[in-house]
Amino acid sequence: MSNLISMRNVDLSYASTAFKERSLKTALTNLFRPQQRRIEVHDIKALKNVSVEIRSGERVGLLGHNGAGKSTFLKVVAGLYPISAGTRAVRGVVRSMFDLSLGFEPDATGRENILYRGLLLGLTPKFMRGIEAEVVAFADLGEFIDYPIKTYSAGMLVRLAFAITTAVGGDVLLLDEVIGAGDANFMVKAKRRIRELIEKSEVLLLASHDFETLRSTCERGLVLHHGELRFDGPMDACIGEYKQLNGLA
Amino acid sequence: MAGSYFGGVWAARHFWIHLAMSDLRSRWRRSFFGILWTLIQPLGMTLLISFVFSAMFHTPIREYAPYILSGIVVWDFVVACAIGGSLSFVQADAYIKQYGHPLAIYTLRTVLTNLVVLLLAASGLVIWVLAVMPDRVGWSWLASITILPIVALIMWPSSTLLAYVATRFRDLPYALNLILQAMWFVSPIYFEEKAFRGAKLDYLVDYNPLYHLLQIVRAPLLQGEWPTMANYAYCFGLIAVLSLAAWLFGRSAEKKVIFYL
Repeated sequence: MSNLISMRNVDLSYASTAFKERSLKTALTNLFRPQQRRIEVHDIKALKNVSVEIRSGERVGLLGHNGAGKSTFLKVVAGLYPISAGTRAVRGVVRSMFDLSLGFEPDATGRENILYRGLLLGLTPKFMRGIEAEVVAFADLGEFIDYPIKTYSAGMLVRLAFAITTAVGGDVLLLDEVIGAGDANFMVKAKRRIRELIEKSEVLLLASHDFETLRSTCERGLVLHHGELRFDGPMDACIGEYKQLNGLA
Repeated sequence: MAGSYFGGVWAARHFWIHLAMSDLRSRWRRSFFGILWTLIQPLGMTLLISFVFSAMFHTPIREYAPYILSGIVVWDFVVACAIGGSLSFVQADAYIKQYGHPLAIYTLRTVLTNLVVLLLAASGLVIWVLAVMPDRVGWSWLASITILPIVALIMWPSSTLLAYVATRFRDLPYALNLILQAMWFVSPIYFEEKAFRGAKLDYLVDYNPLYHLLQIVRAPLLQGEWPTMANYAYCFGLIAVLSLAAWLFGRSAEKKVIFYL
């Protein structure tokens, strides 16, 4: 089997300048400020020496405390964040669901937003018209599909975003704690849809705090702790390791 | 490397065209005159300014008004692309955080939107000249169309450069306003070329890329002449310099933008 994702000794740090000097004014005044009066803000090391190999067909769960680096890890895989050291190789088309309300136009209808989000994902208008009916059916929003999405509830938004993202084929699916937001009915459908995607031998990376979801969807787990990869193995052992690291066991 | 970058821009064409179109729709929505404002606004300014300036400088208003109008429509485009372009990445943060398109598509969106506005506003100028000075019509008018690709190719790298910096330093647009005002003041945009020459300030005309840029519309439409080779040389030189600068700067800045959003 081929490796779809290969990360070797990956470091990632957020430069402290990103939240320190936000204006020309502060940048200039800092030049003249005496050394000892400056507030020290250090670079944040979000990932430290992380090495992971993921093969086609694997379902991998990511566990870790808030700020452990789960989302950062996913964004590195998606190619959004540049790594500071190490190597990153991802083959195939990556589909991600990070912040679901992002990239929606509140004044446009659900149906229009299906097109817009498809275009954001680099697809053609023709292709999107082809899959529109299928997306509408899966999201199952009834008449609301022709209402502006600013009238939607949070759960409805998730359903629409989920329907679009999973209707469009991709080799690597990245989910960041989103599945939990639909209602019970939709959860069943969403899980079935994810199983279908996995059956098409695609990779799923799921960051979550919900042990049940992780157990039922993923067989392999990674534990991140303060930016370090502390465990890589079967899901049940992974949850045990996570609990121990965070003093829950 | 450059090839794959522009390959990415081309691959995302449906997306940035959609963004530009939705910008235009929201610009013209919810106002009585809608699209007409794009024509009315520069015409109104022209009437006002030419009325005052022609009295101050003793210039015949018939010739001076279209001169000012040509200055306004092109300068408005430059300002809108510079200020709006510098905010392009900040405005598109939701998209940038979700999908790794080449960032230049977001400044291209701003340039494209304003190019449509420029095209509309410039048609007002063409109609004005046709009505008032029909003797200027000739083959040289074809040259005036070249302003569109030229001005777009100047402002695309400029606004991309500015956007890299403005994402890091959020107060750049304020500084930019000041710089643009200074540029306006030392350029023959509203003021006439001969006013500069009369004050022995020839270098503000001859070495000023803005003068050469404006000549591409002014020479054909207002004087019935072809723009000179020097006019085009300055424009293409500017395009080359700005594109190179944006490319060199973007090589390190492009990837870091997401951290500053």
